[in-house]
Amino acid sequence: MSTIPSQAKSKQLRACLLCSIIQHPMDFRKNGCPNCEELMQMKGSPDRIGVCTTTYFDGIIAVIDTESSWVARWQRTSKYVRGMYAVRVKGRVPDDVEAELESRGIKYRPRDQTDQD
Amino acid sequence: MSGLDDEYAMHEPESDPIQLDDEDADDVQPEPAQKPKKPRASIYDALDDEEDEEDEDDEEDEDDEEDAGRGKKRAKHRHKRPAVNRFLDVEAEVDTDEDEEEEEDEAGGDEFIADAGIEGDEDDVNRRAAVNARLDRRERELNDQDLAKIAQNLHERYGRAAVRYTGDMNEVPQRLLIPSVHDASLWQIRVKPGRERDIVFSLMRKAIDLEYTAQPLSILSAFQRDSLPGMIYVEARSAQQVNQACKGLVGVYPSRGITLVPIEEMASLLQIKKQDLTVTPGSWVRIKRGKYQGDLAQVMDITENGEDVGLKFIPRIDLNPKDDASVDGRKRKKVGSGLSTMRPPQRFFNYEEVVKVYGRKQVSKRNQVYVFQNDTYKDGFIEKDFKLNALVLENVNPTLDEITRFTRGQDGAENENPVDLSIIAEASRKAAISVLQPGDHVEVFEGEQAGVHGVVDSINQDVVTITAIGVEIDGQKIDVPARGVRKRFKPGDHVKVMTGQNADETGLVVSVSDNVVTFLSDMSMQEVSVFSKDLREAAEVGSGTNIVGNYELHDLVQLDLQTVGVIFKTERDSFRVLDQNGQVRLVQPHQISMRRNSDRAIATDSEGHELRPQDNMKEIDGEGRKGRVLHIHQSFFAFLHNRDITENGGVFVTRARSLASLAPKGNLLKTGTDLGKMNPAVAGGAATGGMVGSGTMGRGPRDRDIGVIVSVVKGAYKGYVGVVKDTNGPVARVELHTGNKVITIDKEKLYRRHPDGKLTPLTAPYNPNTMGPPRSTGGGGFGNSARTPNPYGAGAAGGRTPGWGGGRTPNPYATGDGKTPAWNASSRTPNPYADGGRTPAWNASARTPNPYQDGGKTPAWNASARTPNPYQDGGKTPGWNTSSKQGGWGDFGGASPKPWGGSSPARPAESNSWDSSLQTAPTPAAAPTPGYFAAQTPGAGYASAPTPAGIMSSVGVLSAPTPGVSGAVEDEYCMWLTDAEFTDRKVIMEIVGTHTHNWSNGEHEGKLGFVNSVLVTANDTVVHFHLLDDGTAITIPASYLNPVRPNAVGDHAMVHEGKYKGKEVILNSKESDNTWLVMQPEDVAGLSCETQQMVKLYVSPVY
Repeated sequence: MSTIPSQAKSKQLRACLLCSIIQHPMDFRKNGCPNCEELMQMKGSPDRIGVCTTTYFDGIIAVIDTESSWVARWQRTSKYVRGMYAVRVKGRVPDDVEAELESRGIKYRPRDQTDQD
Repeated sequence: MSGLDDEYAMHEPESDPIQLDDEDADDVQPEPAQKPKKPRASIYDALDDEEDEEDEDDEEDEDDEEDAGRGKKRAKHRHKRPAVNRFLDVEAEVDTDEDEEEEEDEAGGDEFIADAGIEGDEDDVNRRAAVNARLDRRERELNDQDLAKIAQNLHERYGRAAVRYTGDMNEVPQRLLIPSVHDASLWQIRVKPGRERDIVFSLMRKAIDLEYTAQPLSILSAFQRDSLPGMIYVEARSAQQVNQACKGLVGVYPSRGITLVPIEEMASLLQIKKQDLTVTPGSWVRIKRGKYQGDLAQVMDITENGEDVGLKFIPRIDLNPKDDASVDGRKRKKVGSGLSTMRPPQRFFNYEEVVKVYGRKQVSKRNQVYVFQNDTYKDGFIEKDFKLNALVLENVNPTLDEITRFTRGQDGAENENPVDLSIIAEASRKAAISVLQPGDHVEVFEGEQAGVHGVVDSINQDVVTITAIGVEIDGQKIDVPARGVRKRFKPGDHVKVMTGQNADETGLVVSVSDNVVTFLSDMSMQEVSVFSKDLREAAEVGSGTNIVGNYELHDLVQLDLQTVGVIFKTERDSFRVLDQNGQVRLVQPHQISMRRNSDRAIATDSEGHELRPQDNMKEIDGEGRKGRVLHIHQSFFAFLHNRDITENGGVFVTRARSLASLAPKGNLLKTGTDLGKMNPAVAGGAATGGMVGSGTMGRGPRDRDIGVIVSVVKGAYKGYVGVVKDTNGPVARVELHTGNKVITIDKEKLYRRHPDGKLTPLTAPYNPNTMGPPRSTGGGGFGNSARTPNPYGAGAAGGRTPGWGGGRTPNPYATGDGKTPAWNASSRTPNPYADGGRTPAWNASARTPNPYQDGGKTPAWNASARTPNPYQDGGKTPGWNTSSKQGGWGDFGGASPKPWGGSSPARPAESNSWDSSLQTAPTPAAAPTPGYFAAQTPGAGYASAPTPAGIMSSVGVLSAPTPGVSGAVEDEYCMWLTDAEFTDRKVIMEIVGTHTHNWSNGEHEGKLGFVNSVLVTANDTVVHFHLLDDGTAITIPASYLNPVRPNAVGDHAMVHEGKYKGKEVILNSKESDNTWLVMQPEDVAGLSCETQQMVKLYVSPVY
């Protein structure tokens, strides 16, 4: 599971552009993204954190039971770790990540709710 | 110490591969610095790290309140500091033996705890040896370990982090994820506003804390939305679980209800979209607060974290600072001396100006940039960083004006690279979707179909189906995203602005560039540029709204003390006003002091007639413009309006004195009065005669009953005597002699009270009062007044028979008939009547019945009659003269000596008084007067004139001309003539009853003609009548007209009574003696109509 940020109000909180998990940037740096570190490579790299996460998110979800929560399923975070997730994250992942996703045949869904289907 | 183990485990394997880089580890990167260390050191480091983190968290808390810019810098700093600290810590520790010990411990394996306490000084050699030993051992370990195993370890330990991202849920369409009944429900809980996030976090932590306790939380998730303040949503199977989860949390109000969210609303809670906060360089924003509140600014750059935005906008520098120090030449700035109450206007930064006010020291120049009061100014603009949340990003709607100011720049010169209008367009594009309508001409400007244009067929949310117009895909229907199309206009289109500042303007498109359409406004004749999205094709020519503020088109407004004007055009926020001097002014609403009401204003036109607003008038000089009177100012200026005149919106101003009435209607009444007024001779004569109640004259007999002394004969006021002050239809306001009280009472209850005490019904229109004088209460005698010339004038106004002539005479229509001269002549001649009235003989005669004859024979009469009378010249009089032995009276329209002779003896028998005889008998005035006769006859020809004998016979001595009879006639005449259905219908009528009344000598008696038009005046209904036999037109009271019934198959007729009233029918066949089967032109069904209900229609012969 992810590290739950201690300060809910902190404006420093950042959401991952790919999985929408919300963490303190320190946690991103220390542990990376608990869900998509493999792609994002944020661990230990503030620059990377800067491009792969954002402070522009809206709505915070505390996903407690990932498997059975409908909210998590709706947000497509069921397979992810427990933690805080953003309802909506503005921005797109960097091009390299998008390219990588494409090469793996994974459909990239931006978390800004621009395309709903 | 599982945490420590973790750390240990994490660091150890990692350190090995990286160890080779150890020596040139980067300062900035803390990890490499750590990595070479042994596990023990790592543990401490980890602890250190944690401490640091706590510190940092504290700092972050502080930072929250600080500027983000600074926060950012500090953040950078912070990122570095721990690394440095660690590095320093390590150095410091290295100085101690502990470190060595530890390293040795590592080498030695397990004893390190025992050795940990050992403190002591060791020499360098020892230390180096230890380091070497460590390196050696590592070497060995590396060699020993299988690389594959290392990889496996890695995988095990970082298993999660390295989990392959599959995004396996991304393929599922969102719609398949909508909640079902098997899913847990969402519950809405009220929380303290502002604490939503905290509470969601608290719930998370609480869930983790209690996870392995006896009572774990059974909620599945919880979330908040920024756009839904004061509530959070919890996903759980029951409200009980929610309650349990929320128990003990501060700021949650479960008592205010835990509401179940309907299943269909669950998804939308997560789909709430806040408006995209798009800030891109070049886009427009508005400033929320402070001195520049509401000002438009352009984004220049954005900091990485997106929280600070560099803006460029027009500064507001106070060039009149409240700084009294500037008086003595020492200019000081007063920073923070409080915001002045007034906000300085937007003004480009001007070095000279600012230096003049604030002094040279306050402004410094660096490169191209001026710095003044800690703000930088470039090219006249101020450049300043704002926090994102201090800006309005949505609905910025920059106006073209604002943008032009930006573009124009400091010098007012056109900038070389003008602002990209497309940016505004971009912002407004979303709005554009909503303004599309089926049928709109659109053009696709982006995407695959760019360039295609067509007509909107249908709109389905964001997708517009258009029918393409073009060479290849003509007629095909294609779907395009709504944001990719824009309305298309071409020069020549007539458009209307739907929204925005220029709303409701219409105009002709003159040019189109992308989405900016320039059109020539119909209103202001100026070019207006608007976005195509705000336009719609429209055929109408909108004058826009006619109301600005409190003022409306065609209002008479006071501009200043001397000037009034009429609004002839309204613009967006101003008026065009034509003032009384004929000048056009552009005024703002605030320049108008008041609106004036001229509804009751009257003026006198060129003919002395009364002139009121709404009258249709014509200029008699100048351009001869016609128009409807809008307003009258000071009884002198008249503002007229005529739609046909393009200049000044059809409004023009002229002097009332140069106007003449276009319509006879309503002026007939006034004629008599005005004639009298105009004619000093008459007025004078009247005055000398003392017969004319000057009040009557002056008042202008709007109603002949006004001023009459009446008695109330019925009702509560029965017996009271008073004076009629005003009449309104069937009621009159009577000022009672007693009690000085004004009562409103039915006219029927009023009887005219004559000086001798006799009472006659007020409603009888043909009593002598018709002739006017009797009601002039000051009249010396009836005889006198009856014979004064005034009666004709007054009679013209009030009475019927003689009135016609009188009424006609001054009238422009009448002039054509050449009747006026007679009138004028007669009325202007030193009045024989008046003279006669003054003669004692006359007076004397007035008291006896005989004087009729005598009076009639007086030379004066003859003289008067002959002098003006053209008829005698026309050679017709001889006949008359012969028939009548008394020349003058003979002319008086067949009141030949015989009748008079015959009648007069009777009269005395009836009454001795003039009064009575006047009431009943045809006084000379009442009888066809010379004037009247003259008026009617010229064209008619005397040959056909009824003989006196005829008159005699029909007159039946006294009865016929009495007012009473006339009054009765009034009720009988064909009232339906005035109905709307009969307007302009040429119904054929027969002239009947003129003999009886001696109207026009009865010369038209029995003639047929058709009705040209009907005029309703206060006292009478007159008809412009077209005689069938000779084609002449006459004007005749409607009471003399009887309808001619259709009598042959095929006759056209109008039904004037019964249920088919107003219908035009064609006679089909006769059903019975008095009914016909008729057809309607537009309806084949036959109707049965009584002959008596129909009147024949004149069908003009086909030439």
